[in-house]
Amino acid sequence: MGGLSYPAQKKIVLALFLLVPLTLLGMFTYYPAARLVYLSFTDWDGLGSGMSFLGLDNYREVFTNPDLFGVFLHQIPYAVGGILQNIVAIGFAVILNSTLKGRNAFRVLLFIPYIMNGVAVAFMFQYVFDTTGGSLNALLGAIGLESLQQSWLGNAAIVNWALAGVSVWRYLGYTMIIYLGALQSLPSDMYEAARIDGANRFQSLWHLTLPSLSRIIQLNMFLTLSGALAVFDLPFVLTKGGPAGASETFLLKTTETAFQFNNYGLASAMSVVLLLLTVLILLGQNAALGRKGRD
Amino acid sequence: MNRKWMLGAIAGVLAVSMAGCGGQNQPAASDGGGEDSISGTITYLTNRTDLIGNVYDDYAKRFNEKYPDAHVEFEATIDYDKTAKMRLSSGDFPDVMNIPTIANTELPNYYAPLDDLGLTDSIRFPDYKSDGGVLYGMPSGVDVVGVVYNKQAFEKAGIDKVPTTLDEFYAASEKLKAAGIIPLASNFKDQWPVYPFAAETPVALSGNVDLSNERVNTDTPYTLDGPYGQSMNILRTMHEKGYLEADINSTNWEQSKKDVASGKFAMFYLGEWIIPQLIDGGMASEDIGFFPFPYDNEAGSRNVVLSPASGAYGVNKNSEHLATAKAFVKWMIEESGADADMLPILKDGKAQIAQMEEFDSYKPTYLEGKVDTAEALAIVNKAQIVKEAIVQEFVLADDPQETFDKYNKMWAKAKSEVAK
Repeated sequence: MGGLSYPAQKKIVLALFLLVPLTLLGMFTYYPAARLVYLSFTDWDGLGSGMSFLGLDNYREVFTNPDLFGVFLHQIPYAVGGILQNIVAIGFAVILNSTLKGRNAFRVLLFIPYIMNGVAVAFMFQYVFDTTGGSLNALLGAIGLESLQQSWLGNAAIVNWALAGVSVWRYLGYTMIIYLGALQSLPSDMYEAARIDGANRFQSLWHLTLPSLSRIIQLNMFLTLSGALAVFDLPFVLTKGGPAGASETFLLKTTETAFQFNNYGLASAMSVVLLLLTVLILLGQNAALGRKGRD
Repeated sequence: MNRKWMLGAIAGVLAVSMAGCGGQNQPAASDGGGEDSISGTITYLTNRTDLIGNVYDDYAKRFNEKYPDAHVEFEATIDYDKTAKMRLSSGDFPDVMNIPTIANTELPNYYAPLDDLGLTDSIRFPDYKSDGGVLYGMPSGVDVVGVVYNKQAFEKAGIDKVPTTLDEFYAASEKLKAAGIIPLASNFKDQWPVYPFAAETPVALSGNVDLSNERVNTDTPYTLDGPYGQSMNILRTMHEKGYLEADINSTNWEQSKKDVASGKFAMFYLGEWIIPQLIDGGMASEDIGFFPFPYDNEAGSRNVVLSPASGAYGVNKNSEHLATAKAFVKWMIEESGADADMLPILKDGKAQIAQMEEFDSYKPTYLEGKVDTAEALAIVNKAQIVKEAIVQEFVLADDPQETFDKYNKMWAKAKSEVAK
């Protein structure tokens, strides 16, 4: 490399370093994604013995079959839970950002559920929600709320809310840490100026903190909503789709379609639809909240 | 000098990452020997991770004693069905493996014909994994469903005679309930344990082994007064009378086995395969009983349906040691004793499970179940029907006729689409 100029050498080194990650990215992310879109137009059954081109039939099936598309209704509790999660997380972040004794311990306690393995958490909650021997019903009985004891996972009306509750418990810490990080980057002189002007804590929260956090709130809302769209592990482990399909989610149906019913074409189409919905939510959110964040 | 280090580092990184991309698919080591001699090392892929390191070591030793030049290695994987299907479609799969759930018409693409082993006439279910009259897979064992019960629980409730009619079954359940014992562990929540009500019981009730495949001839296969309705109604009645778990949507499979062992629960309606599991869990074999399910009030012998156990041995048609692989399959069927915790696959084999003696004392009529035809399977997959889900919805619905209407509609729609 002696004869080349320094900029040229820099370019060659950069290219060489990028070669390996880009190759891996192409092989393991972009190629399968492209193949997925291709498969969504076929009726491949997973064994490669002949597949025919179906055009848009799979997509038509996804949108017109109430068993496939209707399951999104079951995921609304997760979205609602996610909004609640964000509100509570901001609250905790603000509290734990101030000088509070033992705030590090609280931060750790709130974050630990996120670190725990998702499937292990789901198994654990099986014992919490168990109707006859579970800890939730036992707790309700111990504090005198026997009337609230019930079959948390067996009652089709509340099973999705119970699962959404587990999801909120898991991700609260994660959301909170993101807000905490954002809060710590806010300049403190802004708050001093507000205090001099006579603002109380709530007013400075509402008028100063939240607007500054709007970009982060946008990010977290996007993560929460796309998470609500892609729920899989909780219903899979806890209810397998719930009492007669009441807690089925779109992704659960997709994996069933692919691996149980050997219909990889339809399952690929379902995955593409999920991707499009996620993109739609992102665009919608940007349009709705982007304007507020610009000023 | 710095640039030389950088060059060396880049070269090192590239070399290491390229090595990582190397082939992970090592074919079975070939130790010489031609296609026809029983030699070389073969690999057997299975889902029994619990047998690696103990039972399988014993099999390897015994197989090597019989064929000194041949060695067999055992490989087990969890989530077996999906993994096996993926390996099939990649073209790289071992010499012998349990055949996953693929259509029988696909079998010749991957597996070698096994008729030359001479066992086709002496095994049950030769058409389980056959296509066009050629045998591609040897079923590993036979299952039969029946009621497995805790004898001490029955004694405690004052039941002195095993029920042989449906009314007696309900009466026995009532006595168990009165004694504070849960009569039947349905394991409803996990969905799969209710499979006998969806498959074996309707066939036994009607005495028609072609029942499942005859569904393709009608647009309304599920009727309340037909075999499916009658069978599922039994479970629904049990639930209404309180003979199942208190909350059937909140059951726990592992716990249920312990509860039957301890006598908190009395009965399972599952296959004979659960008896070894209960014994492994610590229950005494003398306390376990097994009787045919009394699905109606007719007198006389009960039908029981035999079905092939889910694992079937298949030989990779491109195996480097075809003869060895086939010899291994023959050895597994005839000499390994692998079907000891099921019913024997050879027609003249004797069941190793002690409880089968009691089972046979009730003189059941054994029916050999028929495997699903390609057409029935295609409709089931197109309609995305899970048979245990029908049972669940039937039991929980306010109006079971609505459940059947819904599934009949799904069936009819898929039937017309498949026919196109």
